[in-house]
Amino acid sequence: MEKFSFKDVLVTFAGLFITSFIAWVLISATGNNPSEVAMYLYEGGFKGTRNIANSLYQATPLILTAVATLISFRVGMFNIGINGSMYVGALYAGWAGYKFTTLGHFTHVTVCILIGMAVGAAWMLLPALLRVYAGVSEIISTIILNFVAVLFVSYMANGPFRADPIAPSTARILETAELKQIFPNSQFNTGFFIAVFVAILAHFILNKTTFGYELRSGGDGLVGMYPSRFSSYLGIPSDRSAIIGMLISGALGGLAGAIEVLGAVRYFFQELEFNQGFDGILIGILGKLEPIGSIIASLFYGAIKNGGFYVDYKTDVSREIIIVLISVLIFFVSAQKMVKGLEKYPFIKKMDNFFSRKKM
Amino acid sequence: MEWIEIFDISIFRSLLRSTAPIAIVGMAAALCSAAGVLNIGLEGKMLNAAFAGVYASYTFESVWAGFTAGIIAGLLTAALFGLLSFTLGADEVLAGLAINIFSLAGTTYLMRTIFGQAGFFSDPRIVGFEPISISFLEGTFLQPFLSDFTYSIYLMFFIAISLHIMYYRTRLGTAIRATGENPEAAEDAGINTVRIKWLVTVFSGFLAGISGLFLSLENLTMFTEGMSAGKGYIGLVASSFGNNTPFGTFGASLFFGLGDAIGIRLQGVYELDSRLILMIPYALTVVVLILIGIRQRLRIRPVPISES
Amino acid sequence: MSKDSIIHLKNITKEYPGVVANKNVDFQVNKGEIHALVGENGAGKSTLMKILYGIEQPTQGEIFINGEKQIISKVESAINLGIGMVHQEFTLVPSFTAPENIGLGQEPKNNQGLIDWKGLNKLVVDIAEKYGFKVDPGLKMIDASVGVQQRTEILKTLYRNANILILDEPTAVLTPQETDELFTVIRTLVDEGKTVIFITHKLREVMEIADRVTVMRAGEVQGVSEIKNTSISELASQMVGREVFLQVKKDEAKPGEEILNVEDLWVHDARGLLAVKGINLSINKGEIVGVAGVEGNGQSEFVEALTGLRKTSQGSIKYLGEDIASSSPKNIRRKKIAHIPEDRTNTGLNTQLSIWENLIGNSYFRRPLSTRGIFNLKKIAEHSNKLKEDFDIRAPNISLKVKSLSGGNQQKVVVARELSEDPVLTIASQPTRGVDIGNIEAIHEQLVQMRDEGGAVLLVSAELDEVMAVADRVAVMYEGQIVKWVNPKEVDQAQMGLYMAGIKE
Repeated sequence: MEKFSFKDVLVTFAGLFITSFIAWVLISATGNNPSEVAMYLYEGGFKGTRNIANSLYQATPLILTAVATLISFRVGMFNIGINGSMYVGALYAGWAGYKFTTLGHFTHVTVCILIGMAVGAAWMLLPALLRVYAGVSEIISTIILNFVAVLFVSYMANGPFRADPIAPSTARILETAELKQIFPNSQFNTGFFIAVFVAILAHFILNKTTFGYELRSGGDGLVGMYPSRFSSYLGIPSDRSAIIGMLISGALGGLAGAIEVLGAVRYFFQELEFNQGFDGILIGILGKLEPIGSIIASLFYGAIKNGGFYVDYKTDVSREIIIVLISVLIFFVSAQKMVKGLEKYPFIKKMDNFFSRKKM
Repeated sequence: MEWIEIFDISIFRSLLRSTAPIAIVGMAAALCSAAGVLNIGLEGKMLNAAFAGVYASYTFESVWAGFTAGIIAGLLTAALFGLLSFTLGADEVLAGLAINIFSLAGTTYLMRTIFGQAGFFSDPRIVGFEPISISFLEGTFLQPFLSDFTYSIYLMFFIAISLHIMYYRTRLGTAIRATGENPEAAEDAGINTVRIKWLVTVFSGFLAGISGLFLSLENLTMFTEGMSAGKGYIGLVASSFGNNTPFGTFGASLFFGLGDAIGIRLQGVYELDSRLILMIPYALTVVVLILIGIRQRLRIRPVPISES
Repeated sequence: MSKDSIIHLKNITKEYPGVVANKNVDFQVNKGEIHALVGENGAGKSTLMKILYGIEQPTQGEIFINGEKQIISKVESAINLGIGMVHQEFTLVPSFTAPENIGLGQEPKNNQGLIDWKGLNKLVVDIAEKYGFKVDPGLKMIDASVGVQQRTEILKTLYRNANILILDEPTAVLTPQETDELFTVIRTLVDEGKTVIFITHKLREVMEIADRVTVMRAGEVQGVSEIKNTSISELASQMVGREVFLQVKKDEAKPGEEILNVEDLWVHDARGLLAVKGINLSINKGEIVGVAGVEGNGQSEFVEALTGLRKTSQGSIKYLGEDIASSSPKNIRRKKIAHIPEDRTNTGLNTQLSIWENLIGNSYFRRPLSTRGIFNLKKIAEHSNKLKEDFDIRAPNISLKVKSLSGGNQQKVVVARELSEDPVLTIASQPTRGVDIGNIEAIHEQLVQMRDEGGAVLLVSAELDEVMAVADRVAVMYEGQIVKWVNPKEVDQAQMGLYMAGIKE
């Protein structure tokens, strides 16, 4: 993966600018006032402790799903099924949250999180094995499993795990299983620190350890590069790297779901809707498949997402506008030829060289 | 209830209805894959067409306005995919994925903002397609099998046959297959592979548009958030199972359609949880993926040493 | 200029960012001649022909066909001008038959506008007969031999009414006997009034078949001569810019104890066919054993089996007395067996990774580069920078992605890594492919040095000159078997040619 270069930053900002313009047009066209929307977007994202806390809360699962995405991409696999892992991870972490009644706080939270991660990882086992041992595209299988996950958790919340006779939901998790909320009137919880810790750990493992090197040796590009001849040639089993990468990716998706249930929602119910698994793909790309870049992109995305909720609440503009705009931004960032085309300008080339100087 | 009673004429009709959207978008996927384009973005094209169809039909109270708008939406989304992938050098998978996310959020946004509705939008003003009755079949035993379907059922057969002829009997068809199998060979023969890729992409937008319109303007006349529900992806699997050929894809789609039709039927017969029934097409997809994998593994069979 | 000049490329310059591939090149071909275009890899021959065939556009210069100025902006225009090209890498659609490939893009149509397959088959058979070829209209290219594929490619150009045929290194994949057949075809073509441009770096072939020859070096034309007025040594010195070509300085080998012993080895290829059929071979300390042969005769699978990348189906591979057949590449590597693979960009390197990440591929796990699984980036930088210097890898810094390096420098990264961990046995497969002449010499010297320091070396190469110059003993492989062991000093090229065609005596 190429490190951030000046031209990438330039394209991202130019994309942001153009995206804002498109937003302006889109909002005006549907009969709303763009400057009002912009104001609410800012207020909802950044103004006051509560909004900032909520922005950070929104960023929490995004950091994890973005890291889940980038790990799979960097081992050479295209995992699009993180949303599915998130659902099943949330369901089973919630189940563990009310099922184990005798554990202490720390143990209980740990057990719930580990179960969520294990289930999230297990969800990715089939696509990983299908890819490695039968050559079946993981892109399609993981996407299809997303649909299965939604129906599966909804079935479980309605059937076997249903506790409430009126609403299709599980029992509330016990207090011992809760991730603590810190600010009043905000769902911000200690899960945020877990997410940031995980991202930093991922950065360290990927770039500074032999294990990370072995994972990346067969991939490290945006395109699905598995199976890599290079890894097997060096004696690094690329099949194992690909499977481990997929499982870690799924586990982090499960962790994102577990934190949502343990830290914010506190029980699993049928209408609980996740799409952070998909947002994470966009954020991972925006963050150039680097964990630290993903933290930054997640914080940005979390803030405008929270701002989007505020806009939705205050005006007639629906919150989906945010995802629309981020995907438009992705159109710009992913346009490799456009980014490369910038190299022909001497100034940009010079700036690029200046910023890419390295110790090694 | 006897098993045999599940299989009657109505399941045949329900089979064709379940097959049509998958088969049509599947053939779009087959065409793209045959030319070497991995088109993940079909899902988004379907969704945009479904929404545009409902919007125009509602606004002009005309099904043909809806049809036109739906096709245009499909084509425009396809053009966006082509622009990103072929002109601007974006990774095909990423471009397709971004388009799908964009389309899901975009149609939801527009529905909520324009109609002020969440979840689904339905209105008596939306005009849908009426079934076509074939007069000369009336009264014959073929009528229940072949008459009184909506457009896309007939279109499905027409598309399959014309695509088959196009594949194997026209220069365009050989050019498409050559582009997918060995682009250098195609280029060397003077075929502009980028143009071929654009062409199949745009045409896939047309087909995905028809498939999307089937969802929102035939049988039910309504738009639901994310109503394509993975049919674009299932179409990709169908085309892969059918070796990217029109008839092969059609056959694979029939398999999906059959699962769907039996599921719907079983729901009426046994008291099954609707979610489990809804899972059938996806579960079938996973099964088909496993079958594809087994087939790929079986293709390689080592020659015994003693034979040489 | 002669008045029957059919092609004249005038003052052609082609610049890529940072490289000048062609510099003021003047290239002229007469009607009805066989014109050889010779030069080393990277001399600019391919670029020049790509310009003539409309694949690339010249930065500067003019093209005259039959005396008229033409702008060839795409392949189609070249085809319309009667130019046909047979690429080194065949451009055939594997699942298509010969007529389907030949007619591609210009199939005859019937009244309904549909392709007339029967008419096409007949047309193809007719053309083939006219030039003395045989063609099986039902045979898919995936099942066809290399020779048949090449003839299909030539027919393709004839079907499109080519008068000028460009053949890019057509003999590289052929046995000497197949080469003779090709030459007969070329002579028939010229008799029928066609003009042939023959790109090669094999001077013997030039002397045998060509009427005139243009020699290129480093993007420039070094000379144009009539064949009857020139000699191999003259052409060679024009081509390399100095008198000697492929002489490796080395002393007599002093073989020691046995390092590797392969006995009755059988290996299947990826399609499940038998690629290696009962090979016996041993390599001793302090010698270089060469494996010669036309590509595709099981050499790749043999090397993959030795290095653990492919399971063996039968037989034993004893390394220092221990059987390593079907052992994992990891186990084999840890026993100090180095491997320079034939496929550089996908196997030898991960071009997405940086230079240092590629350089530490066989050493990242050992101290001091890493301790308990954690990298010591400072030591890694030292190690990588030392290799960069020792092996003369030309790059501004080691954080650069390998994909931004030239082919020769990429190969140096592979060689540097593989020779860096004191290997006992070095397996080098096509180690100089796509590498420029200066670096070829350096790589040869490094292999000889490995030998002189007591290492054992297996050199597999399709370049006959290379094997003969570098190896101490040579095995000739044909259809999965070793057909002959030779002493490179005691055998001439003609004899080698027969062995490479599977003829033992």
